[in-house]
Amino acid sequence: MNLKNITADKLVALYQNRDLSVTEVIKSVYEEIDRVDKDVRAFLSICPERALDEARRLDAKIAAGEPIEPMTGVPVAIKDNMSVRDLPTTCASRVLEGYVAAYTATAVERLRSAGAIIVGKANCDEFAMGSTTENSGFFVTRNPHNLDRVPGGSSGGSAASVASGTSLIALGSDTGGSVRTPAAFCGVVGLKPTYGRVSRYGLVAFGSSLDQIGPLSKSVREAAQTLEIIAGFDHFDSTSADTGVDQYVRDLERPIKGTRIGVPKEYFIGGLDPEVKAKIEAGMRIYESLGCEMHEISLPHTEYAVATYYLIATAEASSNLARYDGVRYGPREAGNSSLQEMYRRTRHNRFGDEVKRRIILGTYALSAGYYDAYYLKALKVRTLMLRDFKQAFEKVDVILAPTSPTVAFRIGEKTGDPLSMYLSDIFTITQPLAGVPAISIPCGKNSENMPVGMQLMANHFQESQLLSVAHHFEKAGGFTV
Amino acid sequence: MRISEKDVEYVAKLAMLEVADSEKKALAEQLSRIVEYVEKLNELDLSGIDPTPQVVTSVKHAVRDDRVAPRTGSSEAGRTVKLFKVPRVITER
Repeated sequence: MNLKNITADKLVALYQNRDLSVTEVIKSVYEEIDRVDKDVRAFLSICPERALDEARRLDAKIAAGEPIEPMTGVPVAIKDNMSVRDLPTTCASRVLEGYVAAYTATAVERLRSAGAIIVGKANCDEFAMGSTTENSGFFVTRNPHNLDRVPGGSSGGSAASVASGTSLIALGSDTGGSVRTPAAFCGVVGLKPTYGRVSRYGLVAFGSSLDQIGPLSKSVREAAQTLEIIAGFDHFDSTSADTGVDQYVRDLERPIKGTRIGVPKEYFIGGLDPEVKAKIEAGMRIYESLGCEMHEISLPHTEYAVATYYLIATAEASSNLARYDGVRYGPREAGNSSLQEMYRRTRHNRFGDEVKRRIILGTYALSAGYYDAYYLKALKVRTLMLRDFKQAFEKVDVILAPTSPTVAFRIGEKTGDPLSMYLSDIFTITQPLAGVPAISIPCGKNSENMPVGMQLMANHFQESQLLSVAHHFEKAGGFTV
Repeated sequence: MRISEKDVEYVAKLAMLEVADSEKKALAEQLSRIVEYVEKLNELDLSGIDPTPQVVTSVKHAVRDDRVAPRTGSSEAGRTVKLFKVPRVITER
């Protein structure tokens, strides 16, 4: 059974009515993985035995008439930078090849407690560093809409799995667009919650002041359902927020007439593809027809986003990745003369080029004599970006923009030029820098039949409003499954 | 600011990375382009602006009671094995 034409809530209803068993669905998901994933390659590893055990346990529960959880028997994919006990957790890096996690990330544990079944671990850019999944240390994932194109990144396996029907919901992580870009490129929904909304316990750290776990799904409703389950304070993550979790699913149908939507002029720049622009403008007209007010706004420091982000994220990464030394995790390369040589050999032989480039850039930005000139300066510009958003949210409720300046590009098109790759992230990096939530939702396809993503942003902890505004668009635009 | 091959060597050493001689030139080139690009930030007047190391939204900083809580976490790693095997770090001269 391919999952392309069904959503989680409908699948759970079928289980409840005994129209389908969890076991038969999970079996068919693996048949589908066999058929589809040899081309798409969304999964780094799969766990059929464990998933089928879980399926039989849930079937017994349903047969006994016990009350069932909201995600019962829903097949999910987990980005491979989240720990799941007894499963490989590699971050798509050869430095963690063969490493098996000793505990489960809180977000994953909460999803499992709600009945979800993990079908496998999804491919990504190594340590989530990339915008296309081409930086995976193992293999490239392909876009299910066109196998010659990238799926976006870094959560490319998560997005490609949902889009190709080999999972219903996937978890990804977003540091500078890593949930939203692949969602846009693969034509699915991708949510980056407010910084601190979802516990990061068990998420392998990349940029600690930016990282946030978020769901990918075919519908806004499933994103809301997933967030409701995974959000909330966790005493294992001291950066998780103790703010109450709203009832995102209930709030979806909240009327949006009169909602003030801001359109930042800085997002409609020269590099924006004309076809993407046209789709976003058509999206604005849908909101107008729903009775929303459109306002032109300004986020004046947007043009400094790429520079700011690539200093802060690489500085944090260089520190976070110091722990991969061949001792604590994963394999070790022989160092003949000294311990230091063993560290260097292991890191040299097992980190990919992009990871090394970022570690070096981050180390440089933090090194003596350059700290004030680069890292500290970037932190100050970040303050200006946060102010931009605060001022904007005094005038409007939600901000609307493209998710990416282009649709998915060809595999290999930008790999030779790191700076041009970084610049493609321009629309998805100010939100993590400011900590605000943002969602990418499908808004049609271009003339080559490639999906276009529209991005909505809201103020801190306003996910309820964000999801509801997205949900109304999905319904009105006919973008529902 | 240009990043030289020497800079690459120095920073790689700080970061515990080896860089092959054949990679140095290309890496210095790529990093120079990136660093020249990020110097765009010099256009801004940042006097009197505080840095934002982290967007703290609603984090409880209170010290909690020291009590045992259920944990299906990393503490189990230490329970299943008593010893970790590591490479020799002290050798006879």
